[in-house]
Amino acid sequence: MQPTPEVVLAVVFLPFLAAAFTPVVYRILGERTAYFAAAVALVTLGLVTDQYLAGAHGTVSFDWIPSLGVSLAFHVDGLALLIAFLASGVGVLILTYSGGYMHGEPGQAKYYATLLAFMGSMLGVALAGDLVALFVFWELTSLSSFILIGHYTGEEASQYAARKSMLITVSGGLFMLVGFLLLVWASGQTTAIEGTTYSIPLLVEHADAIREVLTASGLLVPVLVLVGLGAATKSAQVPFHVWLPNAMEAPTPVSAFLHSATMVKAGVYLVGRFRPLFLPEDAAVLGEWTLVFAVLGLLTMTVAAMLAVSATDIKELLAYSTASHLGLIIAAFGFANSYGAEAGAFHILNHASFKAALFMVAGIIAHEAGTRNIDRLGGLRKHLPVTAVIAVVASLSMAGFPPFNGFYSKELLFESTYYAAEHMGGVAWVFPVVAVFGSVFTFLYSIKFASLFFGDEPDGLGHVHRPPVAMLVPPAILGALVLAISAQPNLFIEGLIGDVYGSVVPGEAHSFSVHFPTELTPYVIMSIITIVVGAAAFPFYDRIHDAINAALRGPVRANWWYDNFVEGLTTASVAVTPKIQTGLLRTYTTWGLFGFVALALGGYAAAGVSLPGFDGLSVSIPIVLVLLVALVAAFAVDIAPSHVAGVLTLSIVGFMVAIFYILADAPDLALTQLVVETLVLVIFLLVLDRLPAFYGDAPDRLVSVRDGLLSLAVGGTVFLTVLLSTNASPDPLLREFIVARAGVPAEHGPFFADYGGGSNVVNVILVDFRGIDTMGEISVVVMASIAILTLIRMRTRGETQ
Amino acid sequence: MIQFFLAATLGVLFSIGTYLVLRRDVVRVVWGISIISQSANVYLVTMGGFDGLAPILSGHGASGPAPSDPIVQALVLTAIVIGFGTTALALVLTYRVYEEHGTIDMYELGGSR
Repeated sequence: MQPTPEVVLAVVFLPFLAAAFTPVVYRILGERTAYFAAAVALVTLGLVTDQYLAGAHGTVSFDWIPSLGVSLAFHVDGLALLIAFLASGVGVLILTYSGGYMHGEPGQAKYYATLLAFMGSMLGVALAGDLVALFVFWELTSLSSFILIGHYTGEEASQYAARKSMLITVSGGLFMLVGFLLLVWASGQTTAIEGTTYSIPLLVEHADAIREVLTASGLLVPVLVLVGLGAATKSAQVPFHVWLPNAMEAPTPVSAFLHSATMVKAGVYLVGRFRPLFLPEDAAVLGEWTLVFAVLGLLTMTVAAMLAVSATDIKELLAYSTASHLGLIIAAFGFANSYGAEAGAFHILNHASFKAALFMVAGIIAHEAGTRNIDRLGGLRKHLPVTAVIAVVASLSMAGFPPFNGFYSKELLFESTYYAAEHMGGVAWVFPVVAVFGSVFTFLYSIKFASLFFGDEPDGLGHVHRPPVAMLVPPAILGALVLAISAQPNLFIEGLIGDVYGSVVPGEAHSFSVHFPTELTPYVIMSIITIVVGAAAFPFYDRIHDAINAALRGPVRANWWYDNFVEGLTTASVAVTPKIQTGLLRTYTTWGLFGFVALALGGYAAAGVSLPGFDGLSVSIPIVLVLLVALVAAFAVDIAPSHVAGVLTLSIVGFMVAIFYILADAPDLALTQLVVETLVLVIFLLVLDRLPAFYGDAPDRLVSVRDGLLSLAVGGTVFLTVLLSTNASPDPLLREFIVARAGVPAEHGPFFADYGGGSNVVNVILVDFRGIDTMGEISVVVMASIAILTLIRMRTRGETQ
Repeated sequence: MIQFFLAATLGVLFSIGTYLVLRRDVVRVVWGISIISQSANVYLVTMGGFDGLAPILSGHGASGPAPSDPIVQALVLTAIVIGFGTTALALVLTYRVYEEHGTIDMYELGGSR
């Protein structure tokens, strides 16, 4: 069935609408705004469910910029519905949880409004069926993430974290935009699609033709990398993972929502969405796609898992773990075989279920125990029994421990790496080895997180409170979801994940199911190795933790690059600014004019213009004489010994220009110039009367040589420009239009006289054809005179102080 | 029509104007701006060519060359008037600066060389 346009629109824009009203609602409801926001999320979830139950599949589109072929299109399919379920469903839980967590916190109206706006943007990303719409919603999620990370606006760490995430994710988005535009260009090159298109489903439908164009022009890998940069920055893939741990400065519900369950999934979603576009049905086992994404994903999975082991803060641990699991999904999507797509599709759901629960558990720990430091936590089971159960279930699922749901998706990943290696042999055996190696670390930190609830209480741990119900129910629901998926994985696969799988594979999708392993396959052995090695290494956790931290020094850390780069930019700006912004007019003028000369000459050089040959004076002798007089007068202005002498010689220039206008057959100009020149002379003399006589302007030689050179450069550029522009013969359309209608009356009809009511063409243009312009001109003169009046009269009224 | 002579004249006028704008005396800066804007006007008129008659309908009779480009003239007319407004404002600003600070020397007015 086609999706219902109204419902899809409501899904995306209802949260935005609610966000707009949140400040008003907050005035009425106060802290209970959380439940208003949760209700909005619940309605959205209901609408998504409605579309899901109706079996909606297809595209609805609304005109947006029809002249460019851009539309506000929404595409509903399995992948879109899964992400939409996550955004709205986890949204309900998070907003409820916030009602307890944010008690007494500042800036709640802003907080809930931004969370709702984020939810709308994320739903927009999930459902977008148009490249431009996708990009806009994509950047909106970055923006709302920026505001939420910087929630505690006064704290430097929040500011740093917000700036970091913004710089990394938004710049990644810009790379993605370039990739999108290349795709649109490719769509214009192929005959399979009429014109160019921004429609994602249409691009995917003609994937083969698009790929052909891109391959032929050598752009396939660049486009892959550009789109991949967008995904990698958003999903915190190595080496762009650095913003995610800092983003934990945000209130914990935000971390659980944006930075584990939804926003960071946008990158994964992007990879899934474009997988059928870039991956041919009969893909080579190690094609460009696999090379980019499997390598990126496995690298992130391993590195981020090791970093998670090195973490000392529970939220930092979860942040690195999130990056690691996103790496797992991207790696899974990277493999061309069907197990990869299955693993990725299934793990999106599994990861959201256990990781959002764990973040909320971390929020409870931080809230009730007052610390997030791993070393100072332990034995929490006695104080937080329910939380402990949730944490253990979710941690075991995160570890990939059977029979929890995380085990099934990890098993599928092992399967896909194994088959990829088996098909290719040789160096490809690195894939399964790295997957197991990274999983060992995943196992280690998962067990470490669960172990916080066991053992002895450290000495420093004070009294641990019981969490409020609003904070306990949402993670409990997610914990129950983990158990439900673990118990009946095939129910969820049939219900939704199968469709997701269909969205991320090219061509027809087969149905799939998972089973608890009953025999010893190679990938079961991989799981066993992971668990056994992990369990054997766990007693040495502290040593591994210290060893990784010891290795993280200087350029090995991605943060080192980020901090030095940003710091370098800041230092450079601080150093350069006083050189350019000296507060001295001549400095600004110098740089401005230098820029003008450089750009103009550079442009001429780039265009490869050639100088025209000299072909006579082409002006009459009187004009030559008049202009020569003007030149001499201008030179006299330059060397004038007094202000009065300078003004008088300047007047000569002006009057010579007036005569030039007469000779150039421009009587109106000549009249105006004469009047203006007379007035300017009078004003000059009036003002000069009040000014000091003269400043002995004897600049030192270096300054005058520099100024002289710059002046010559400007003069030379002008000379060249006049030559080139008078040499050119532009389309005389406008001139001919006017001249034809203004021309000899007998032949063409007195257009100007009839319609403009006058026979002076210039006058008619000014007062009739360009009447509004002239109106503006008069306003300028009026404004200038008011300003002059104010400047002169107001001073005496004591307005200076 | 390639205008070598006017190109050279305008080049020199712009050079002189630029040199004046770079001086430390505020009045000279105003002069420089004035010269540059005058030259820009001349440049625009030059673009219209010199081979026509004044663009006025009556009095030319039925023969003779076509009128010169009226569009550039209309543009320049506006520019002259605006230039007048800005020059007057700049002068009064100079006057006010002198009243406030007791000097019209750029170096003394502030900033670092």
